[in-house]
Amino acid sequence: MTPRRMTVYLVVGLLFSMLVSAIGNAQETSVPVKAVQLTGLKGFKDNTKGTLSVENGNLHFVHGKENSEVSATSIQDVVTGADSRESVGKTVGIMGMAAPYGGGRVLSLFRTKIDTLTVQYRDPDGGLHGVIFTMSAGTADAIKKQLVAQGAHTTATGEPTAVPSPSNTSTNKEQKQ
Amino acid sequence: MKHFPSPGIWLSVFALLFAAGPLLARKNQSAKIKAAAIQVEMIQSDEIKLPAEFQVALYENLIHQLEKQGFLHVYRDGDRNAGSVADLVVLHSTVRGFKAGSEKARQVTTVSGATSIAVHCQFTRPDGTSLLERDVNGKVRFFGGNLRATYDFAKKAANVVHENFSSLTSE
Repeated sequence: MTPRRMTVYLVVGLLFSMLVSAIGNAQETSVPVKAVQLTGLKGFKDNTKGTLSVENGNLHFVHGKENSEVSATSIQDVVTGADSRESVGKTVGIMGMAAPYGGGRVLSLFRTKIDTLTVQYRDPDGGLHGVIFTMSAGTADAIKKQLVAQGAHTTATGEPTAVPSPSNTSTNKEQKQ
Repeated sequence: MKHFPSPGIWLSVFALLFAAGPLLARKNQSAKIKAAAIQVEMIQSDEIKLPAEFQVALYENLIHQLEKQGFLHVYRDGDRNAGSVADLVVLHSTVRGFKAGSEKARQVTTVSGATSIAVHCQFTRPDGTSLLERDVNGKVRFFGGNLRATYDFAKKAANVVHENFSSLTSE
């Protein structure tokens, strides 16, 4: 092997290792996204609003001063999905129902697309837990990718996971890919 | 002149009626299956393709509703501590039917868009001996998101447990 070729190999190797470490560092922390914990997270009531992030191999959910962590390696399955919710708030929606001639129902037509993130993990005793988060559309996939990169398992491999009815508002995103 | 039974006969009839009530209740109670704890297995949906969030919501709501009743200790799927419990009941739930509705359709029309889930619940001993089997449905017809059907199922399933099982510690 000539010295020149060896130098080229060394430089390529160095560049590759720098690239890998840069990706690794980028995966350690993520930008927190606003999310709603629908159900399942210990210590939080259902429908708690907070921020969700992936840091140092853990899935973090923070609401006020309370926070909860789930180790990525304990996650057995992480699945993203798509859903929708009313654009108007609950209070306005309920008040709208009182509108004459069912006029308030028009409000129900205005809906915002959201992502769902479903996580199944095991506690130290082996007990299975499930947590469902919702967040703004297009953000769940990034969190899922970060979790998988940090050791979480997933059964959704991009294969279609069909949902029987076309009227479903809660279809799996994986099936669309 | 009409002949009325004597007050003594009336008294004895009422006494019998009063006595029969608690006796029947005790008979029902004795028909309940004794259990020390219940272990909830993850919801299976091999035949029906169920979105992951529905599967998890069914499981979590079921555990929550059983814990709310408070008369049985509830173990989660895979919990190693359940292995040492005598008179453990294992609940296996299999989704047999799922109709995904639409919250929007429900709110706009009020007659269409219902979400429904049919789940077959099988209660067994850890060795697999079957104790009880029931089909439980969950529905959401008017208010709430599609996932509310899982809450409806969980409440009904918890009632099945309440009606058919009795805690060993309560006696």
